[in-house]
Amino acid sequence: MISAQRLTKKFGIFPAVDSVDFEIGKGEVVGFLGPNGAGKTTTIRMICGYLRPTEGRVLVDGNDMAVEPRRGQRQIGYLPESAPLYTEMRVDEYLAFRAKLFGVPPRTRGRAIGEAVERCSLGEVRRRPISQLSKGYRQRVGLAATLVHQPPILILDEPTSGLDPTQIREVRRLIRELAGNHTILLSTHNLAEVELTCDRVIILARGRVRAAGTIDQLREEAAGESRYVVESDATGASQALEALPGVGSVERAGGEGRWHRFTVTGHNGTQDLREAIAKAIAQTGGSVRELHREAPTLERLFVRIMEEPEGDT
Amino acid sequence: MSAVLAIAGRELRAFFLTPGGYVIAALYMLVNGWLFVRYVFNPGELATLRPVFTFSMLAFMLICPAVTMRMISEELRLGTIETLLTSPVRSADIIFGKYLAALGFLALLLVPTLVFVVALEIYGRPDYGELACGYLGVLLAGSVYLASGILASTLTASQVVAYLITVLFWIIVLLGTKGVLQTDVLPVAWQERVGDVVLAADPTTRLIDFAIGLFDSAHVVYFGSLTLVLLIGSVGLLESRRWR
Repeated sequence: MISAQRLTKKFGIFPAVDSVDFEIGKGEVVGFLGPNGAGKTTTIRMICGYLRPTEGRVLVDGNDMAVEPRRGQRQIGYLPESAPLYTEMRVDEYLAFRAKLFGVPPRTRGRAIGEAVERCSLGEVRRRPISQLSKGYRQRVGLAATLVHQPPILILDEPTSGLDPTQIREVRRLIRELAGNHTILLSTHNLAEVELTCDRVIILARGRVRAAGTIDQLREEAAGESRYVVESDATGASQALEALPGVGSVERAGGEGRWHRFTVTGHNGTQDLREAIAKAIAQTGGSVRELHREAPTLERLFVRIMEEPEGDT
Repeated sequence: MSAVLAIAGRELRAFFLTPGGYVIAALYMLVNGWLFVRYVFNPGELATLRPVFTFSMLAFMLICPAVTMRMISEELRLGTIETLLTSPVRSADIIFGKYLAALGFLALLLVPTLVFVVALEIYGRPDYGELACGYLGVLLAGSVYLASGILASTLTASQVVAYLITVLFWIIVLLGTKGVLQTDVLPVAWQERVGDVVLAADPTTRLIDFAIGLFDSAHVVYFGSLTLVLLIGSVGLLESRRWR
């Protein structure tokens, strides 16, 4: 549905987005992950036709956004960051305005607005001026506004930023509901959000795509090494563990009384060393009171990508 | 076209949902009423609205920029411009919709002055050709001021700056063109060479013609084309934001 091809945007000589390529298929829910200033918003703005790329192009449902921007825009429901709204309008007035902008015919307009209102649970504030609504409600009004023309694609820029935890849960639940029949591109700098809502992730940093794939794929990639926590009373535990094949390093991580705690790092992320560790300690005659493998997290991959030196891809 | 009307409708409603519109309308009517009673509504006076028209043409120089200053600046400041420019609407539709709303507001502003026409009809025999010409002149002047105000509004996210740019521009034109004020601010060496050109660009003398009922199609072309050029310029400026 969305295809970005060598997408580049320079502000002056500074490349905010640098040769970004990706494809988003029909029905996918893709997370656009990156720290602030990674170029997420700029990329999204190019997809939606708000900014013209310096180089490269965007196809939305097969329409080149440089040639037929309005055709592509009709397919997209876009919620910009911080959901800008005309605050002097009432909720249903605003939704009606958006429906007219997107050419929803008068006959179906009422129903389309009703559906969007229901979807976003705005029934009780329909007639209220937007200026009187809380941030959470405004975000939902923004979301409802992206739905009135029933677009197959939703692009949401940081939809949960600035909301309180209850509101965040509410918006995430809504996104998961919408995922059923929409292609969704969701930008965020929140890892948990991606893990909760997305099928696939594109990680962006300093204007470039640093990693892309399903969450499981990325987790495995993150697992480049595996980590175990071991707590044992064996005196020679440290040496025994270091001697194990596949073990990279063993670090003391405190302990209490006769119990010593170690963090063991394995070379291979896919290989499970738990059994070998338990056996090795048993052979020294000591006992194990805790042994677990730390599940690889996206966070580790994310941190590793952020720590990569400049210009390295 | 429905998008243009949607934008125009939203803008026009915004005037009545904010106090600014009412303040402008009230002040405008107050001064007009005073002018009418003091200079027109006297025994033996000509049955015309010349003082009202002349005042309006000058007052619109201050009123129109206040009407338009919000139009794009506020969208830039709030970020709503992003939702507009990512909807399937041409920049030209956006600008034209806003211009229509502003012109509509101006027309509404003139509606109460029709009371004066009724009074003239009751107590005298007004020349309706002259009155129509006067109203046309006021609207044409307003149209140019509004278009220039919209252009200024696309330049900045600050309403105050947009207002000042427009008003200062027209004050300079008013002073520099030696129109109704008969000022001579141009350097003496320029007066001969540049004087004619500048005089041709001066809106005020043309407006005086309308006020006294002198219909000149050249004036209509002047105001019409100036409006068009300013609106096209606004569209270009708005569109150029996409390339930044």
